[in-house]
Amino acid sequence: MADTALATRATGASDRAVPRRGGSRLSWFGMPVLLAVILGATYLWVGSLELDTIERRTLNAEQLTRSTLEHLHMTAVSTAIVIVLAIPLGVLLSRPFARPVVPAVLGVANIGQGVPSFGLITIVILWTSLGFWPMIIGLVACSMLPILRNTMVGLEQVDRTAVKASRGMGMSPLQVLLRVELPLAFPVMIAGIRTALIINVGTATLGTFFGQGGLGFIVYNGITLNRTPVLITGVVLVSALALLVDYLAGALGRLLAPRGL
Amino acid sequence: MTTTDTLTQADPARSGAKPMIELVGLTKRFPGTAEAAVDGLTLTVDEGEITVLVGPSGCGKTTSMELINRLIEPTSGRILIDGKDMTHTNPDELRRHIGYVIQETGLLPHRTIAQNVGTVPKLLGWDKARIAARVDELLEMVGMDPATYRGRYPKELSGGQRQRVGVARALAADPPVMLMDEPFGAIDPITRERLQNEFLRLQQQVRKTIIFVTHDIDEALKMGDRIAVLRNQSHIAQYDTPENLLTSPADDYVSDFIGTGASLKRLNLSRVRDIEMATDAPTASVSAPVAEVRAALLASSWTSLLLLDAAGRPARWVTSRDLARADQGAVLAEVGLPVEAIVEPHATLADALDELIASNVGCTVVVDGSGAYQGIVDLETIMTVVRTVRDEYERFHLAQKLAQQPADGQAR
Repeated sequence: MADTALATRATGASDRAVPRRGGSRLSWFGMPVLLAVILGATYLWVGSLELDTIERRTLNAEQLTRSTLEHLHMTAVSTAIVIVLAIPLGVLLSRPFARPVVPAVLGVANIGQGVPSFGLITIVILWTSLGFWPMIIGLVACSMLPILRNTMVGLEQVDRTAVKASRGMGMSPLQVLLRVELPLAFPVMIAGIRTALIINVGTATLGTFFGQGGLGFIVYNGITLNRTPVLITGVVLVSALALLVDYLAGALGRLLAPRGL
Repeated sequence: MTTTDTLTQADPARSGAKPMIELVGLTKRFPGTAEAAVDGLTLTVDEGEITVLVGPSGCGKTTSMELINRLIEPTSGRILIDGKDMTHTNPDELRRHIGYVIQETGLLPHRTIAQNVGTVPKLLGWDKARIAARVDELLEMVGMDPATYRGRYPKELSGGQRQRVGVARALAADPPVMLMDEPFGAIDPITRERLQNEFLRLQQQVRKTIIFVTHDIDEALKMGDRIAVLRNQSHIAQYDTPENLLTSPADDYVSDFIGTGASLKRLNLSRVRDIEMATDAPTASVSAPVAEVRAALLASSWTSLLLLDAAGRPARWVTSRDLARADQGAVLAEVGLPVEAIVEPHATLADALDELIASNVGCTVVVDGSGAYQGIVDLETIMTVVRTVRDEYERFHLAQKLAQQPADGQAR
């Protein structure tokens, strides 16, 4: 994850004399245009088919909208929770006093990353019960590591001299954290958040197996009912959603990134 | 010897000066180490002076400095600033009243130059208008156009400019005391030289009490009113004026550290304003009639005449041949050689010598702050200084030799 983060940072850093927000027009509009083309093409293709009743039961506006909203709901809630948990935890772990417990905490977070998500969610649900929140707990466990890790890496790579100078000018440790360290770590942290978002969009597909719906419902229907148009629609929607969410997070990151970096 | 007196930098009147920083038995022992990093450092710095801590790397000079603004908390000992014990006050509050400049500047990359310079005033709760006015004033003071630079980011500046901003930032809240940790260390030699000179000129205006850390003895000799040569654990080997350090080093450690070429180093200590420069050079206005200029040149013992512009600034050197050319219709302002070697009175003789060697006429013109002509320094003047220093140095070693003679004699 650290590698992803650093790579993103390196390419994101501009060496232009005057820092402007964002990059070329292609990087701003390329992805939305591509997504519109793919979704449009799928729509036209499905529209041109003669759908049987089984297919129509899944491929209708109401069902598709509901699945997409369920999917977004799971993604949004789980990502919000993971951000709220992982960033403060990452900040805490990056403080000198926490150094002894870092390996243990990272080890636990690694389990979330390492164990197959399907198994992990199953364990959580066996432990608790079927429902929305157990599903969310599973998602949070799966996507904890990237944000935690990138928060720590991001804070670690902050220029020590900037921190030292800030302390030397009389900023309190909290002021240094809020005004210097977090802004400077932001680009790396946002990369972690993007990774977590993508993991959550992907893993939320499993929600259908635990009664939580989502776009996995459509994909799964396509497979079990052996209806290719349904399967492809589901796959296209999940992929498009993942790419869109990643794009939006990236754009937001670029807009919010401190200038001058 | 009168020359010696004029050469020696005016010794800060110890009687009138009041101590601004007093370190008493300052000690730092890091956990898990046998030896203290700083062991009982006791040092007094007078108001308005630059004290340089110089020593090899690892001697604890940076640690000593960081003990003063308590970035490192001392294990024992006391820190007094302006007579007040600061050892147990709120460290953040303390640091807001001590300017701090470090080698890599530590400018905040995500903040504009104006925001960087205004950091401490903002921490102190100044209002926006006051901060903005102060930022502009400071940028002006360090020679950077506020309109051009205030909105820029640190990475858009050169290393030298960043260091200037670093100095401006340290001065922002007008702290009485400044700590500077190798502030010019990471800068190319030419820019460093210029920044040092600019800083010394600035110091003439602001008169801060400064502790300056460097490992470079030449920088120490140039910047310091007083120099503390440190050995391991920040033990002071000698705390003295640069002159005394050069002419009478306390022991072998100090003289080894100073190295060879003490007499040339001395040129770094003497300033142009302290020596007698030649003021009898013939001068004339560029707009004066050629005949008048020639009369002035003939009346003097010099072979060249210095043309001054309307504001009294040196413009060109002209010889009688150039004047002949002017007779034939050439414009006076275009004949002769441009004046290239120019120094201000606070420049060191080493600077003047540099300029002189590089120039085309073999002498350096001294100008005041506004650029108006003041006098001339030539090689002869500088040689006199070198000779004097060597004499002093030899007298010191002769005295040492004589002091050792009886003991040696008995041994043989």
